[in-house]
Amino acid sequence: MPMQPRERLAYSAIEGRPKLKFPDGVRMVIWPVLALEEWDISRPMARMVISPPQGQPMLPDHPNWSWHEYGMRVGFWRMKKMLERVGATPTVTLNARVCETYPQVVQACVDAGWELNAHGYEQIPMHKLDDQRASIIKSMDMIEKFSGKRPRGWFGPGLTQTFDTLDYLSEAGVEYIGDWVLDDEPVTLKTAHKPVVALPYNFEIHDIVLMALQHHPSDMMYVRAMDQFNCLYAESAERPKVMAIACHPYLSGVPHRIGHVERTFKEVLSKPGVVSWNGAQILDWYLAQTK
Amino acid sequence: MSSPMLPRERAEYSAIVDRPPLKLPDGARVAVWTIVNLETWDISRAMPRQVLTPPMGQPLLPDVPNWGWHEYGMRVGVWRFFELFRELGVQCSAAVNGKMLEDYPRIARGIKEAGWEFLPHGYEQMPMHKVEDQPAAIRRTMDVIEGITGSRPVGWLAPGMTQTLETMDHLAAAGIKYTGDFVHDDEPSTIKTVHGPMVTVPYTFDMNDITIMALQHHEGKHFYERGVDQFEQLYKEGEKRAKIMAIPIHAYISGQPHRFVHLERLYRFLKRPGVVFMSGAEIYEWYKKTAPQMA
Repeated sequence: MPMQPRERLAYSAIEGRPKLKFPDGVRMVIWPVLALEEWDISRPMARMVISPPQGQPMLPDHPNWSWHEYGMRVGFWRMKKMLERVGATPTVTLNARVCETYPQVVQACVDAGWELNAHGYEQIPMHKLDDQRASIIKSMDMIEKFSGKRPRGWFGPGLTQTFDTLDYLSEAGVEYIGDWVLDDEPVTLKTAHKPVVALPYNFEIHDIVLMALQHHPSDMMYVRAMDQFNCLYAESAERPKVMAIACHPYLSGVPHRIGHVERTFKEVLSKPGVVSWNGAQILDWYLAQTK
Repeated sequence: MSSPMLPRERAEYSAIVDRPPLKLPDGARVAVWTIVNLETWDISRAMPRQVLTPPMGQPLLPDVPNWGWHEYGMRVGVWRFFELFRELGVQCSAAVNGKMLEDYPRIARGIKEAGWEFLPHGYEQMPMHKVEDQPAAIRRTMDVIEGITGSRPVGWLAPGMTQTLETMDHLAAAGIKYTGDFVHDDEPSTIKTVHGPMVTVPYTFDMNDITIMALQHHEGKHFYERGVDQFEQLYKEGEKRAKIMAIPIHAYISGQPHRFVHLERLYRFLKRPGVVFMSGAEIYEWYKKTAPQMA
């Protein structure tokens, strides 16, 4: 029987927990996450911006396929320039198949020195895979082959996992995940193999949640992110805080949103003691702290 | 017969940074493509969109409340568009169901008098997946338009942007030269069909009043705010390469008084140096001339 989430991680209140410490000069870490996906035209699309007339879903769903494709043809390149302008170094989490279908995009990430993190093989829930273990290994191998480095981190497509997933991930060499949004600090999860660290990700400053699901106006990314930041920044005087900002090229990379995403990064990174780290950097810091 | 091409086979992946920039006429930075969608909603079927669900939520036929909601656009809303765009000199594409032109001859006359492009939008407002004979429906829509204008339309915009894997081939066979059904770029692109190349003119869901208002339920003023954000980014990038900004609107949505004020505000904002207002057919003709190797 695989472990339940509660068995992998005992409950712990942040109050009274021993304090972690960032290196001198660092007070708070921004963790930008950029997700690159492969939407297979033969299946329902991962998200929809438009439903067909009369509302019944139809296959092939070309309108929504093409909506996502804009992110890869145009949006990614706009986001790349923006992230470089503001000095943000993202973790790029990608469906491994993107290495085959959009090699130019992945190569640009490698050339920029951005961390590659595995995001499954294609954009479908882990629950729907016939052989999770094989699919995870394949994803890790493909990204390693393309970039020369085995990914250290993992995000499940849609953050999904079954009770077994973490054991397969650990076996395949994954050291950290972003799928558990349950804390402001990294935590260590038990698996059947080596432990896996869950880095503090969130569904709050996340463009799918904000824009595609909650349908907020374009400037809400900035407004909410600043509220979130101001709270965490104040608390970071007491203990280290990490704030993840999750973006997808088909959402954050469109003209009417990009300016709001840019001013978000610019403003938070301009505060004293705030730095941009990728997942691997946060992991290495946490591992050194807990040795 | 071999199986039809997949979208990826029709439209190979291309990164915008790898393409030579295009230039708009007269040094313009942004071409605004306004699409006025005009449909006919068949009372015998479920309505294409709903503003109001019946008490207890179960859909019922006939759906008179939502039929009447759409009809307001045809009786009142569209006439606001005609007046505003005449005053500002905005060229539009009227995306029309073929049957709409038969059901509303008064509107057909209005489009003709305004000098807008007639852009075929299917014969009826239903997904292409549900059309039994696609080639016949495409031809019929083009015939109705030719009967009014005297010439064959060159573009196509599907109801709800739907297509099956075969649709692009049927369109090319019927003589269609460009489609708005690929929202995958800021620039026109050339895709493959079994009957030769087809041009995509960049349409969008991001500035579409159905998406913004009917599906995402934003306030009226968000159309203006999003439009300004969209424009400012494209205008900045338009210094280096031609940018197309599509604005798809529907008379029953943007023609409502509380939304129309924001639409009007947006167009008065867009009316400035460096911006040209073009129909889809004009963008297609420009692309063919500017990028002959691509078209």
